[in-house]
Amino acid sequence: MSLIESKNYRAPTATPTTLFLRSFLPWQVLRFIIINIRMTFMILKSHGKKLKTVKK
Amino acid sequence: MKVVVLGAGISGHTCALLLRKKLSKKHQVVVISPNEKWNWIPSNIWVGVGLMTPEDVTFPLKPVYDKMGIEFIQAKAKSIYPEGKGANNKPFVVAESTNKESLGREITVDYDYLVNATGPKLNFAATPGLGPDNGNSLSVCTAEHAHETAKKLNKLIEEMRSGQQKTFVIGTGHGLCTCEGAAFEYVFNLEFQLHQQGVRDKAKIVFITNEAELGDFGVGGLHLKNNGFITPSRVFAESLFVERGVDWITGTHVHQVEPNVIHYESLDGSKSSISFDFAMLLPPFTGAQLKAYDKNDGDITSTLFNPGGFMKVDADYSGKPYEQWNAEDWPKTYQTSFKNIFSIGIAFAPPHQISKPLKSANGTPIAPAPPRTGMPSAIMGRIVASSITDMINGKSDTPTHAASMAEIGAACVASAGANPISGSAVSMTMFPIVHNYNKYPDYGRSLTYTSGEIGLSGHWIKKLLHYAFIYKAKAKPFWWIIPE
Repeated sequence: MSLIESKNYRAPTATPTTLFLRSFLPWQVLRFIIINIRMTFMILKSHGKKLKTVKK
Repeated sequence: MKVVVLGAGISGHTCALLLRKKLSKKHQVVVISPNEKWNWIPSNIWVGVGLMTPEDVTFPLKPVYDKMGIEFIQAKAKSIYPEGKGANNKPFVVAESTNKESLGREITVDYDYLVNATGPKLNFAATPGLGPDNGNSLSVCTAEHAHETAKKLNKLIEEMRSGQQKTFVIGTGHGLCTCEGAAFEYVFNLEFQLHQQGVRDKAKIVFITNEAELGDFGVGGLHLKNNGFITPSRVFAESLFVERGVDWITGTHVHQVEPNVIHYESLDGSKSSISFDFAMLLPPFTGAQLKAYDKNDGDITSTLFNPGGFMKVDADYSGKPYEQWNAEDWPKTYQTSFKNIFSIGIAFAPPHQISKPLKSANGTPIAPAPPRTGMPSAIMGRIVASSITDMINGKSDTPTHAASMAEIGAACVASAGANPISGSAVSMTMFPIVHNYNKYPDYGRSLTYTSGEIGLSGHWIKKLLHYAFIYKAKAKPFWWIIPE
């Protein structure tokens, strides 16, 4: 996309409620907990796997 | 047995610390790295806007290695002799000292196992005029580069306070760059900082990227389940750019950076220029340009490395067309054709891009290279340390651990402004990193484990990760509890 196109493009925008929640402390404390839980699941699923041992 | 790790970045350092923890003291762990200090690179963007100093994101490696019982050689690896040389069958590495006291001296280090974690060479030379040393643009790729960038930014902020208008161009300096996420983070931290300094209205900010669309990040973008829709990450990325008043130019290859002017080509083949007062452009990467020789001094570099200098591992390098790409192409154990040599982090050669490779109408390749920094790099370090330990201890003759990027996920926190009350960051998870259409036929990734949201909590997480990973890298008590 060129610079002119990007300037004229009506991109999707966040609603006032969404913008408010992004910095609303109680909501963000809750999100902090939820994101950490989500990332913990991701980490648990992503530390590789064990392969069969092979002795020649 | 002696294990030599080349490089002390995120993957090499993780691998060396874990090898030392897992192997008994009768085995030796040696790290060869040209850098005296370890750098938590994800926080360089904060150095680049003046919120942190280089000392906040780096620390000397030697005291940590001394404490852990790891031998540290400050040198740059130049060549590998995997079969030894002449009558000597012992494989070895040749390195050149970068230590002030023995600068330039050639060092030979033999090994039983070798881990190549040399990371990237920042290839500023790929674009004429690119880079802070011999060019006309700035960088945040190293803590020193970022510090210089912050100095230039402060100077411009002073000029803007006196009423001058300035143009900032942030992004990628070549069509084949990677790490677009770092440019994304820098542009929003810059915007936030200008706002905090009260000069935002004096700044025009433009993001220039080789991504075909915003939110691609070199991983072909993400699909996120959100409010009853499955939405591409492009939508969220574009909304953020609009919200923060940052213009963007996508699908570009920068041909040249002249003082205050960038010349670039777009996917449609058109050629344009943009003027700037401040340009932070990332360089493309190549491998560390190591050479390899056989027993008779014959050059076998092309056996071990691809033309870009990245080390070939257990991947499919047959160069299949995009339509035939498969999750199975990606390496699992990171073992090379020599069973005692592994390559991890940015140093290994990916079989192909993750984003769809494109060319401009003139045939210029404009294709983000696959990112393999951060979490996946560290996980590779972990699994290779486990495999080598099992092989040394006689449990197996082949690697015992695998972590294909088509089977593991990544968590990524991209800062969009650093402040404990008004800051924000994008918190993303993707699973897996490389599209796996065998397992997830619709989008290539799990919609349950792929997520993204922006908010203040993301900033707290990014700050927490900064302290946690530096603590871990310093090998402080219980460092191994902190996951990669």
